[in-house]
Amino acid sequence: MRTDWPGFHLDGQTATRRPATVRLMREGLEISPVGAATRLWPYREVRQTQGFYEGEEVRIERGAPLPETLVVAERGFLESLHEVAPQLGLRFHDPRRRAARLRLTIGAAVAVLAITAGIYLWGIPALAALLAPRVPVAWEESVGRSAVGYLAPPERRCGDPELAAATDAIVRRLAGAAPPSPYTFRVYVVSHPVVNAYALPGGRMVIFTALLRETRTPEELAGVMAHELQHIVRRHATRAVIQDASTGLLLMALTGDVTGPLAYGLQTARTLGELRYSRRAEDEADVEGMKMLLAARVDPAGMIAFFDRIRQEEGPTPRPLTYLSTHPEPAERIARLRAMAQAWKGTPEPLLPGADWPALTRRC
Amino acid sequence: MVGEGAEGGPSFFRKPTPPSTPSHLRPSLPPPPPPPAQPPLPTAAGGSTPGPEPSRASAVRRPVFHGRGGTLFGIHVVNVLLTIVTVGIYYFWAKTRVRAYLASQSEFEGDRFAYHGTAGELLLGTIKAVLVFGVPILILQAVRDVLDVPPAVRGLAALLVAVLAYAFFPIAMVGARRYRLSRTSWRGIRFSFRGRVAELLKIFLVGSLLTAVTFGLYYPFFLVSRQAFLVSYSYFGNERFDFTGRGRDLFSAFVVAILLTLPTLGLCWIWYVAFKRRYFWRHTSFSTARFACTVNGFALLKLWLVNALLLIATIGLAWPWVRVRNIDFAFRNLALVGPLDFERIRQEAQQAGSIGEGLSGFFDSGFDLA
Repeated sequence: MRTDWPGFHLDGQTATRRPATVRLMREGLEISPVGAATRLWPYREVRQTQGFYEGEEVRIERGAPLPETLVVAERGFLESLHEVAPQLGLRFHDPRRRAARLRLTIGAAVAVLAITAGIYLWGIPALAALLAPRVPVAWEESVGRSAVGYLAPPERRCGDPELAAATDAIVRRLAGAAPPSPYTFRVYVVSHPVVNAYALPGGRMVIFTALLRETRTPEELAGVMAHELQHIVRRHATRAVIQDASTGLLLMALTGDVTGPLAYGLQTARTLGELRYSRRAEDEADVEGMKMLLAARVDPAGMIAFFDRIRQEEGPTPRPLTYLSTHPEPAERIARLRAMAQAWKGTPEPLLPGADWPALTRRC
Repeated sequence: MVGEGAEGGPSFFRKPTPPSTPSHLRPSLPPPPPPPAQPPLPTAAGGSTPGPEPSRASAVRRPVFHGRGGTLFGIHVVNVLLTIVTVGIYYFWAKTRVRAYLASQSEFEGDRFAYHGTAGELLLGTIKAVLVFGVPILILQAVRDVLDVPPAVRGLAALLVAVLAYAFFPIAMVGARRYRLSRTSWRGIRFSFRGRVAELLKIFLVGSLLTAVTFGLYYPFFLVSRQAFLVSYSYFGNERFDFTGRGRDLFSAFVVAILLTLPTLGLCWIWYVAFKRRYFWRHTSFSTARFACTVNGFALLKLWLVNALLLIATIGLAWPWVRVRNIDFAFRNLALVGPLDFERIRQEAQQAGSIGEGLSGFFDSGFDLA
């Protein structure tokens, strides 16, 4: 086995690199720099700081805080070192264990994939479900306030007082029959060509004019609003925001970078507009929304008719209809709503009697 | 590849090249064969033949980066696993490991750099930063926004929040640089940074005031004075770096970029960034040698475009390759030109805490000595 290796010695005081010969001994390294005294470095006093990766020189340092350094370029050096001094074990990198290290790294990659998937699919939803009910209403309101500035910019809001009075009346009728809630509901009608509506945390709701115009009666709009109000009351939006933020944290751990995910987190307002609730949240909003309608004695046929019409229109046409497409399994949901309406024994009371609804929806 | 000279970019950015650039920094020889797409690097004064053994007195010395995306990816995967398992605490170890790797893959004159920082120092620095800035700012914000206090107290709290937040940047910047340089060595000799926070704070105050008053036109002057501060207090051993850039040289490029923003849809800012990098490096010297930089707008645009595509296509997984590409690009376009006597350099290490480092971990731009 080879015991003498060429290397370089750095004295830690000057930037001069002296060629040196290193002899591997059982208890230490004997280093003979050209033009300087030979020195003996016992293994227990030195540490390896480089040479763990392919193509990296082996660097061995002695002393602190400003060490003397030995640099050996040839990879075989480490293998010989382990042969000469087998007692060192893991104190120095052992190239012969590279395959094992590679296997460990691949194992780590698989573990990262599994853990990330687990956190994303189960951990984050569970965390959000745990935290959402504990978020103070004031926080929800401040998130909703900042998001509404993005989703419903003031210049695109509909300012028509009669339409506002109509939506307020619907909200009052729905909320009046429901159990008391800590939220103040506000409806924003925004001119937008996409058929959609959003619930924001803290009581705000955004309705696009395209959706408004799709409704033929106030009862149809009341169905949509009851559904969205349930997203607010059941804190689905809040839960989605928490999920979004946690996903940002997970992303941070994955990339090892703070700035990117921070920017991602700051986009909350934007992502609120692209939220997809879980299927369970949608089902819950449907069922509870229908209960809300029935409690307020609003004709359930409106909600069903509207959902049904949207479903049929959404099918083949590429029109900008997204209201139900962000919601799962429309046919099944409509069937369930129908069953609930049929089981209802009450008599509906008309909503906004005497109002010219189609004209009202075209005010903006 | 577009035909590009070392001066690079469209002619409008060539103009501001300062007259003070010594003639030997200008390219005079065609590029060496190995890097085909690369613009020619300046060669030594006196026309010494480029070869494996550069002359000791005067030479073109180039840093070389040996790092590989695959290896960095392996390090990264293990880091991610341990960071998740330890609920984030391993973050500091992860960061230190990556830095140590990047330093050890950076070569200059046949020797690798070394990083001597430890995760414990980073962790401690972060804790200090949270105690010194995070906690007081949170408390003062609560006083300002939530608690029921007299208006005078509220006003005072608001003022203190603003002062703390303002002081944060220069303190973090100086602290991070001091820490980072003092933990980096080459041939066993430590770098160091000896600038004082008060001076940078003054540069920041004057800079932000004048930038506001001049509607942003002072900004390039501010950048140059900041760069002068950061470079001219940097040392390698007992030998100082020097910076001779002037605000008015960057100013003309800045104005041109502003004027071209609309016609070029903002793309001209890439050329501005390239110009700024070139300008900063070409006015940075160490001992008797001067830096040369050949970054140009097209190359930078290509680098960033490919980086963006890589990151998008892999949902960010290509991050290690992007990091390697960035450093490799910076190194390939950098050289230290002129006579240099390493025998003269002596060790002269400075103490440095890691507090600013902890603060700046949030604004970290990676392995960047400029």
